Amino acid sequence: MRKGGAAVGAAMVGREAAVAAVAAELEDSAGKAAGAAAPALSPLSETLWRDRAAAGGVLLGDVSARLAWRDLAVTVALGTGDTQAVLQGLTGHAEPGTITALMGPSGSGKSTLLDALAGRLAANAFLSGTVLLNGRKANLSFGAAAYVTQDDNLIGTLTVRETISYSARLRLPDKMPWEEKQALVEGTIIEMGLQDCADTVVGNWHLRGISGGEKRRVSIALEILMRPRLLFLDEPTSGLDSASAFFVTQTLRGLARDGRTVIASVHQPSSEVFTLFDCLYLLSGGKTVYFGKASEACEFFAQAGFPCPPMRNPSDHFLRCINSDFDKVKATLKGSMKTRFERSDDPLEKITTSEAMRRLINYYQHSQYHINAQQKVDEMARVKGTVLDSGGSQASFAMQAFTLTKRSFINMSRDFGYYWLRLIIYIVVTLCIGTIYLNVGTGYSSILARGACASFVFGFVTFMSIGGFPSFVEDMKVFQRERLNGHYGVLAFVISNTLSAMPFLILITFVSGTLCYFMVRLHPGFMHYLFFVLALYASVTVVESLMMAIASVIPNFLMGIIIGAGIQGIFMLVSGYFRLPHDIPKPFWRYPMSYISFHYWALQGQYQNDLKGLVFDNQDDELPKIPGEYILENVFQIDVNRSKWLDLAVLFSMIVIYRLLFFVMIKISEDVTPWVRGYIARRRVQNRRQRKVELAARSPSLRGYVVDVASLPADHP
Amino acid sequence: MDGGSNVEAWRGAVSPAARYAESGGASLTWENLTAVLPGGGGRATKKLVQGLYGYAVPGRVVAIMGPSGSGKSTLLDSLSGRLARNVVLTGKVLLNGKKRRLDYGVVAYVTQENILLGTLTVRETLTYSALLRLPSSMRKSEVRRIVDDTLDEMGLRECADRHIGTWNLRGISGGEKKRLSIALEILTRPRLLFLDEPTSGLDSAAAFSVVQTLRQLAVDGGRTIVSSVHQPSSEVFALFDDLCLLSSGECVYFGDAKLATQFFAETGFACPSRRNPSDHFLRCVNSDFDDVAATMKGSMKLRAEAELDPLLNYSTTEIRERLVEKYRISDYAMMVRNTIHEITKIEGVVEEVIRGSEASWFKQLRTLTSRSFTNMSRDLNYYWLRIIIYIVMAFCLGTIYYDVGTSYTAIQARASCGGFVSGFMTFMSIGGFPSFIEEMKVFTLERQNGHYGVAAYIISNFLSSMPFLLTVSWASASITYWMVKFRPGFSYFAFFALNLYGGVSVIESLMMIISALVPNFLMGLILGAGVIGIMMLTSGFFRLLPELPKIFWRYPVSYIVYGSWGLKGGYKNDLIGLEFEPMMPGQPKLKGEYIITEMMGLSLNHSKWLDLAMIFVLLFAYRVTFFVVLKVKEAAAPYIRVAYTRFTVKRLERRASFRKTLAMTSLSKRHSQPHPMAIQEGLNSPMPY
Repeated sequence: MRKGGAAVGAAMVGREAAVAAVAAELEDSAGKAAGAAAPALSPLSETLWRDRAAAGGVLLGDVSARLAWRDLAVTVALGTGDTQAVLQGLTGHAEPGTITALMGPSGSGKSTLLDALAGRLAANAFLSGTVLLNGRKANLSFGAAAYVTQDDNLIGTLTVRETISYSARLRLPDKMPWEEKQALVEGTIIEMGLQDCADTVVGNWHLRGISGGEKRRVSIALEILMRPRLLFLDEPTSGLDSASAFFVTQTLRGLARDGRTVIASVHQPSSEVFTLFDCLYLLSGGKTVYFGKASEACEFFAQAGFPCPPMRNPSDHFLRCINSDFDKVKATLKGSMKTRFERSDDPLEKITTSEAMRRLINYYQHSQYHINAQQKVDEMARVKGTVLDSGGSQASFAMQAFTLTKRSFINMSRDFGYYWLRLIIYIVVTLCIGTIYLNVGTGYSSILARGACASFVFGFVTFMSIGGFPSFVEDMKVFQRERLNGHYGVLAFVISNTLSAMPFLILITFVSGTLCYFMVRLHPGFMHYLFFVLALYASVTVVESLMMAIASVIPNFLMGIIIGAGIQGIFMLVSGYFRLPHDIPKPFWRYPMSYISFHYWALQGQYQNDLKGLVFDNQDDELPKIPGEYILENVFQIDVNRSKWLDLAVLFSMIVIYRLLFFVMIKISEDVTPWVRGYIARRRVQNRRQRKVELAARSPSLRGYVVDVASLPADHP
Repeated sequence: MDGGSNVEAWRGAVSPAARYAESGGASLTWENLTAVLPGGGGRATKKLVQGLYGYAVPGRVVAIMGPSGSGKSTLLDSLSGRLARNVVLTGKVLLNGKKRRLDYGVVAYVTQENILLGTLTVRETLTYSALLRLPSSMRKSEVRRIVDDTLDEMGLRECADRHIGTWNLRGISGGEKKRLSIALEILTRPRLLFLDEPTSGLDSAAAFSVVQTLRQLAVDGGRTIVSSVHQPSSEVFALFDDLCLLSSGECVYFGDAKLATQFFAETGFACPSRRNPSDHFLRCVNSDFDDVAATMKGSMKLRAEAELDPLLNYSTTEIRERLVEKYRISDYAMMVRNTIHEITKIEGVVEEVIRGSEASWFKQLRTLTSRSFTNMSRDLNYYWLRIIIYIVMAFCLGTIYYDVGTSYTAIQARASCGGFVSGFMTFMSIGGFPSFIEEMKVFTLERQNGHYGVAAYIISNFLSSMPFLLTVSWASASITYWMVKFRPGFSYFAFFALNLYGGVSVIESLMMIISALVPNFLMGLILGAGVIGIMMLTSGFFRLLPELPKIFWRYPVSYIVYGSWGLKGGYKNDLIGLEFEPMMPGQPKLKGEYIITEMMGLSLNHSKWLDLAMIFVLLFAYRVTFFVVLKVKEAAAPYIRVAYTRFTVKRLERRASFRKTLAMTSLSKRHSQPHPMAIQEGLNSPMPY
């Protein structure tokens, strides 16, 4: 396979040909590869690619991904304006059909390298050097390559099959018939060995679901659904037991053998897992310790003077040699304890780990492995291959919105904490309200009681919406992952969330509104009832939208709840119940605050709805009865000229405004914030450079992310 | 591979392990240990562990290894006397040749989770724990010396003055946390130490440092250490002295860890040279690999890679059976029995019973109060955030009701201002919920280990929160009072502030009760909000007290919520003695007393101070309820656990997944992954920032 690629590459050297020519060439070679070179695509993948080409008229070519990187360096701007070189001068490559493991101690930069290759670096990290995909400068962000993150953000209430099939519907082209999508989903399930748990729910805080290894495989399954040629995985085995880790890695190897390029950062693989890797990229302190075949690494270490002792996992040995934390461990132990270390035959006992690391890095720089890697990268840079299309969603917007709505609805209906728990609490609270104001009547005292009842319903009952905040946060996590992988747009998410929540909110408000209305016996008449329930629905939805908008601005969950509660408290205060509208201080509180407050509109509407047309007893029977209109104007100080339906309309328009706000906030945090952060980081670095650079104090933590520069050799580039 | 490669040579002589036992200290032996989960309700009886023999002697570290669900935790729990009540244990567990109750507090047990107060430094954590548990007669310098020694012993000197770290505060590393957890247990110098998977979640260097420290503890202190361990790396594995390898509850190997490779080689499953022996052992006995192989064969073409792993030729079930069979009749097994026999013959000093705490009650109270206060003052979320919100809210209230005056509408305004203060302001107590739950976790753990009593905890919590609550109520009361211009006079202001303080404290106690009852943050939030809402409704503001339905709402609910008392007192404090403009000009002025009796429907029979006193009575009652709830919870916990286990087993039996063969895995709750929403992680917002 590799040979074939090189031959094609040689034939194409110097040919700055038109796209058609290249395409023809590639098609030719792909045909040959599929025919001759045995381990091409799995039957499943192959069909898909053929279909895709036939359906869309996309050029079918050598769809494999050859990734090469040269002199890669990443510098991170620290908060103080210092810069920190996280990666330095890395050169390497990854080829189709192989699985490359990025290994190194914590803080060695393996995740940074993975992020750099996948184009997902944080805004305050600066990349230099080249990353080439099929000989072209790669732009891999937002969905072009599949990236499996370390934590499995899955929707806990869906079964494995549902999770995968919703994802398929979200991303596969609309044109594709449903049977084919289904076949693809089933194929993926089988490929990832998820048959046995396909109908088990993923699991959340109250549902017991699949195991950790299964979750990880579901995460991978979601990413391979679009048959990407390039797959990045961040620590796919961490947190799994040995059998699960082995299974996951074995699956990855199977995926690689289908002609994919798999790159995974790995943390302490077990012996079985380690033997499954083809290539090994060993990093320490941001520098290359070894790059080459995993099976030859032992030899390399032996040549460098650190042979792997028998009965030892090679990867454990490598990490032992280059993990400078061991120096600290030894220092700590020596300082505080009396006995010495045993096993004095170990070469590592005589020198410090930092010294071993320096030797290894030096040795690698002058070794054949390094030269081979450079040659290979040069070669790969010369071959200009296919531009891989984006792995992002190909489904239409309508399809995305529809699928998301459906998925979100199912999730809400299964998650007990999302709405059901609230429904129960709402019913309990409204029953309390109903019994306390039972049959309120038209006595003199009932005037105030009706006002208080409306105020409580629209104030505190809507307040309970904050209970859905945690579930919403969970939703947002899933959104974040899928958004980063380009599964769908922000608009589709916002719309789907609005639509799917609607039935539940209607149910909740209808049930509790009805209970309250009939128990208290508010103004009789169907229209009055309808208005009451609609106003309640609108208020609850506004609160939900408000909380969502807050969630997208406030970075912290608890602060979100406290600030949300605070804002609602202030809104309630200016709603016209706690202080009569005319008495509210004009600047700020009356204009604009009370007009922004949704409670104000809800109360204005509800008071009219309830009192208009009723006649109340006076303090004494001799005194004339009081008409509701009089009370509205003089006691509650309400503008009776404005129709109550206008108030309701304002409420509904507030829903739209808050949702728009939510949309804008997500967009800002997605586009503007990283840009600002990057800009600030650049400015800081520039400022700092002008002054004299001083090294930041570092934490002596064993797991500190920051690399100890002092321990690195000074002569190194 | 040092020494004693010839097993035969050891016959007849005193085994080396027994020689360790002679040195004194605690020697633990177990013979024919079988733990059974009895059936019932149509379920088969389950054997968790079966016929285990083994020993743990001073100066050596015993590692209990095995795949998930092999009975590691069951064995550890049986040895440390922490087994669930519904599990029947047979066989002998002897401490220094005698049968002992190894219950809570007698041996040191380090759990897998590190439950620590994140705001304290390492030294503070140790010092507080020492003060809580060491005898009160001990002088301060002695305590300090013990703490310093422990810090040295655990290699924590470097990070002694650093914070442990909370969700928003980066602290010490995972390895350091684990060593701190161990340090807390060895403070009282136990001879016997149990650890549950001390290395999981740590990277290789940190794991190495933890196990190296354990070894030092064993060697230097002559301690007996038993630890379960999950997939140790090569370096870590090399540090263990004795190995107990379990698979599906049966013993695959027990004996010197160095000889285990030899045993495997003799049985025909030699460890390949470039392989970590412990990985190899687990590979041989982990029946999950069968399922993996089966699933893979079904789903993927293995592409003639079978030769990659010679073990794939056998199923692990076969390998396991052969190993278990071979071990049973091997010299290794015989040696173990001989050694056990020798150890039990040795007349050891019987371990003194370590009680949970030797400190006096007042010392405990003082220490707890001080610790709790330190925690509260450092945790931003606990009170500081709320103080800020309270002050902001007070300013809003102050400007909205600015200079309320004595017009006719001011009557309603004053009443609703009072209602808002006592209702909404107390509502914000919900913000402290996550911190409450965090604190409850620490309490539960320490309570289990018998560090202090429930009463000491509750009183300390009340005392340490008092300064903060006083600050909160004083600050917001003074802002509101002066801006709104309530009735002037210092005693009126004092009443207002005290009233608010009482209300906030009552709600705080209520929240503590709820946080003790609910399983997670979400439920607490919803339940707390619901309860507060109902309390507000019955306090006499939203519906006047005389109009409340008599049954239930008026009697007793309105009497047991603080709001009604707070409002009554507040109205009396503010209105009595004032005169208001009438509704129509020309009518006589309205007196405060008239307003209270006629418009609010309240009686003036008792003074406002009695109302205030009632709030404090309620506060006391709520704290007592909290005490009762905790006590009841403790007493009921075992029954709940039994029910939970039953339920889990039933559920697992119905599950179709490739892990179904390991149904008993999940019997120990500790392996269930805490849901991110649980406490801390859920606090982080999903949005990038």
